[in-house]
Amino acid sequence: MSDILKTTLGPLVLKNPVMVASGTFGYGLEYSDIMDISAIGGISVKGISLSPRPGNPPPRMCETPSGMLNSIGLANVGFDVFVTEMMPKLRAAGATVIANAYGTSASDFAELCRKFDDVEGIAAIEVNISCPNVKSGGIHFGVSGKPAAEVTAAVRQATRLPVMVKLSPEARDLKEVARAVEEAGADSVSLINTFRGMSIDVNTRRPRLGVGFGGLSGPAIRPLAVRMVYDVAQVVRIPIVGMGGITCLRDALEFFLAGASAVQVGTANFSNPTVAVEIINDLREYCTNRNIRPADLVGKVEMG
Amino acid sequence: MTTTDNSKKYLKTRIQRVETVAPGYSLLSFECTPPLTGIPGQFVMIRGAWGASPVLPRAFSIVQAGNIGQVLVRDVGPGTSLLCNMHSGDELAVLGPLGNGFVEPKSTKAVLVAGGVGVAPLVFLAEKLAERDVPVTFLYGARTENDLPLKERIENCANLIITTEDGSIGTKGRVTIPLKETLQDQNCVVYSCGPNLMLEAVGKICAAAGVECQVALESPMACGMGTCKGCAVVRPDGSFTYVCTDGPVFVAATIYGGEK
Repeated sequence: MSDILKTTLGPLVLKNPVMVASGTFGYGLEYSDIMDISAIGGISVKGISLSPRPGNPPPRMCETPSGMLNSIGLANVGFDVFVTEMMPKLRAAGATVIANAYGTSASDFAELCRKFDDVEGIAAIEVNISCPNVKSGGIHFGVSGKPAAEVTAAVRQATRLPVMVKLSPEARDLKEVARAVEEAGADSVSLINTFRGMSIDVNTRRPRLGVGFGGLSGPAIRPLAVRMVYDVAQVVRIPIVGMGGITCLRDALEFFLAGASAVQVGTANFSNPTVAVEIINDLREYCTNRNIRPADLVGKVEMG
Repeated sequence: MTTTDNSKKYLKTRIQRVETVAPGYSLLSFECTPPLTGIPGQFVMIRGAWGASPVLPRAFSIVQAGNIGQVLVRDVGPGTSLLCNMHSGDELAVLGPLGNGFVEPKSTKAVLVAGGVGVAPLVFLAEKLAERDVPVTFLYGARTENDLPLKERIENCANLIITTEDGSIGTKGRVTIPLKETLQDQNCVVYSCGPNLMLEAVGKICAAAGVECQVALESPMACGMGTCKGCAVVRPDGSFTYVCTDGPVFVAATIYGGEK
């Protein structure tokens, strides 16, 4: 049963439920030298905007206990370069591409997603309403239900592609936001993006990041992420893609049990660039040995 | 800068030897199958099998490529401390070679200017140039006589001139003093690696002297291969360039301004 890991997220069918998270795997092509990127369940590419973005002033990252802070600021090549230069190579490599879309207004998001609709080889759109590192858009759409729903509805009308909405842990009421994007037509939700954090160099008395603050990721946030996935799983019917500090099969299983139908591996790609494929292989062995599918684990945490 | 046709590899390997080459500095040797390719100035990302934290690998210039790879580690924090305290047989993950190396000189002489742990890529370069019989003047600046790792290897392949801030060995003062004298002969290329303030000073001296200067920059980075966009450096025109994929070797003037 070679397709024991095949996973369905509403209209999106993946060869396995282990993806890589946006911002931690570039455009995927960088990794072709060292692995078969078509083995990954889905590659959520670096967030793409209509126009290229230079990103924030350095320093843009620093390490923190069991994690890291980043303030990249969605530096990206823009839609046109992504489509003309990256997509042909991603198609040739057989990669499952999740286009991570960033806009500064609902209409901006809609325009971008309308354009993605015409691009061959994109499996789904992940709508980024949760980036903590940009001045406009980003997290501002993700902190409450109304703007989150407006963006989701605009994207829903603009594309036939599966729509996955990436949620912020900084939402005032995450369950409310999740329900709002579900009602507005999202096919799935992915969570969590990073927490806004800060680290200060006590010698210079300056923040360790150029813009002062950044998004916290890595194993440090995993228990928070697992709890949030569990919370959201109680209130939505659409599938959940869980992420936050996953480094190995055991971590991924926690998310399945909490209610995620698929997972994304993020910061761990920096620790070990082949970790996603290793988790996929370990998951296949785990499921084969138990004669189960990942879907059999979803939400099966026993709360006593 | 130079690109090699050798693609990066991700090697799960083992430490062969850890040698303390100066107080707080360790030379890590690790087995490489297939052999580690790479030219002076290129780097590797290295992480031990130490569990979840520190999360990120660390970037190191290649000191030696081939069947036994080498990097120079200065113990400055939790990650480098773990690396310095590894032992023969310990697991190590090595990603590389990464980035672009130094472009070898068209002129007849090379002047290498190192500060502190920035000596690492320049030892590799000096040894390569010596194989080709290119005369190398190696200016090595440090705080004290205890901060001169790999000094003996340099003596074997180059004309070594040492400066220390406390005068405990060599000329007392900064490495830029002998640099100015050396550049009176303009028929050379300068290669430099060290603290940013030193590189900026070296770049400006070379620009004023009309001598080509290549610098290898250091930056925090997560991926080492262009995906995280964490290692941005601001160019004189305000635009960003990335140490991992655009560098780490840059023509000094493109970073610090000036003519050459």
